[in-house]
Amino acid sequence: MNSKELVLEPSSFRDPSGQVFSVGNKVFRKISYSYKENYDMLMGSGLYKELVEKKLLVPHKEIRKKIEGKEDVYKVIAPEVIRFISYPYEWSFGQLKVAAILTLQIQNIALKHGMVLKDASAYNVQFLGAKPVFIDSLSFENYNPGETWVAYRQFCRHFLAPLALMSFIDTRMGKLLSDYIDGIPLDLVSELLPKKSRLKFGLLTHIHLNALSMKVFAGRAEGKSRKKLNKEGLINLVNSLKATTESLEVKTLKTEWSDYYQDTNYKKASFLKKQQMVAEFVGKVKPKMAVDLGANTGVFSQIAAKFGAYTISSDIDSMAVAKNFDSLSKQEEKILPLVLDLTNPSAGIGWRNLERKSFLERCKSNDLVLALALVHHLAITNNLPFEYISDMFKALGKYLIVEFVPKEDSQVIRLLSQREDIFKEYNQKNFEKAFSQHFEVLDKKLIPGTKRSLYLMKRKR
Amino acid sequence: MKNKIFLNVLVVFFLLSAPKRVYAYLDPGTGNYILQITIASLLGVGIMVRSYWGKIKSFFDKIFKK
Repeated sequence: MNSKELVLEPSSFRDPSGQVFSVGNKVFRKISYSYKENYDMLMGSGLYKELVEKKLLVPHKEIRKKIEGKEDVYKVIAPEVIRFISYPYEWSFGQLKVAAILTLQIQNIALKHGMVLKDASAYNVQFLGAKPVFIDSLSFENYNPGETWVAYRQFCRHFLAPLALMSFIDTRMGKLLSDYIDGIPLDLVSELLPKKSRLKFGLLTHIHLNALSMKVFAGRAEGKSRKKLNKEGLINLVNSLKATTESLEVKTLKTEWSDYYQDTNYKKASFLKKQQMVAEFVGKVKPKMAVDLGANTGVFSQIAAKFGAYTISSDIDSMAVAKNFDSLSKQEEKILPLVLDLTNPSAGIGWRNLERKSFLERCKSNDLVLALALVHHLAITNNLPFEYISDMFKALGKYLIVEFVPKEDSQVIRLLSQREDIFKEYNQKNFEKAFSQHFEVLDKKLIPGTKRSLYLMKRKR
Repeated sequence: MKNKIFLNVLVVFFLLSAPKRVYAYLDPGTGNYILQITIASLLGVGIMVRSYWGKIKSFFDKIFKK
């Protein structure tokens, strides 16, 4: 392995047990000697085998190669590469909930094998389609009887706190996770949650009492030697977190977009025809990966996935994304629903703004962008010039399937009824002119029964 | 014993006061240890009560029948 090609993952600095780095599109992880005992226990105790067999942990291979210029290398492992890295602030309620339950399930299995999770960070979970998987194979450490759970508070901040806020206040509260990279501070959560949340024992203790105890004990050193938490107590604690997590639900409120398809102006026949046309275009591209923008509940993402594309099914409406995720089979491996505001996509956050990558950065190797019934929203609701929209789509993928909705369409009339029509430039000619700067039009079709057009475009070099 | 008194004080204090803003930096580890033992004890009591629930119920049923 040549150290010159080695790129250290910018987020891999918190854990001294090992570092993540990449060579090309392969990911490797160095394991330090300080983690040797724990790693041997993970592999030798049967824990790794059980977690991988149950598909709860990402599998890895041990590589014999040394790393040039690196010291303290006990082993180098190559974990299976995750198709698309997503972050907790992009997940719907249901996704955060299954990720939380996965973490607790792993903690319980680890304890059975004499180990515990030393981290309960939501960033340690990734999605393979609808399936959550734990990605940090260096999160396990030997269990010392009597010890409390070191990751307890982190679990509360990363999972229970946002889930409670989403459940008791609004699903949009999940976005707070992007402001607080190590989970939402519990004193803030305790203040934000309504008083009735204290009637739930799990939230009263794990959130409110937890926040209070931090204030009560502020500045005091804790004597660790007095009383111990026995194993049964530890299991009860984890099971209580699990029961609390499982009991949290969100009301399915009617939102701006979640009934969009029931509310569209064109006939069912045209909508079906549009699906066939999109399928035909996707078939021509044969993408390995696709990003569906404004996917709503994911009807067109299903088409891309059917053609084999790993499809990011994104929408601004957290409730539509929740519906999308809830409607997927638990075994779905091709569709990943994400909450994304295209006018303000996830930025690079954390140390040096590099720890968690921006959405655009993560789309660099994407093949196909689906932008159906979207451009008029961007152009009219958000005043975005066609050139800006075309520029953005260019950054998101090699091919583009885009729908143009003219001013005569009842959806555009509706949008314009709310405001002054300052969009004299909004017409098909200008749309084509702006997009042809970055794209070559491969195909163009009128959607029967509508005034809308569907385009297949390819990015110019 | 000292711990039990402390626990009661903590619960009473909690129920009486709405959390006030604390702007000082708090170490996330603060109170973690005692908190977990406290919650685990409460859960332990809860589980015990639940497992004896039938007996407790029949005990009170008998008293009230008399």
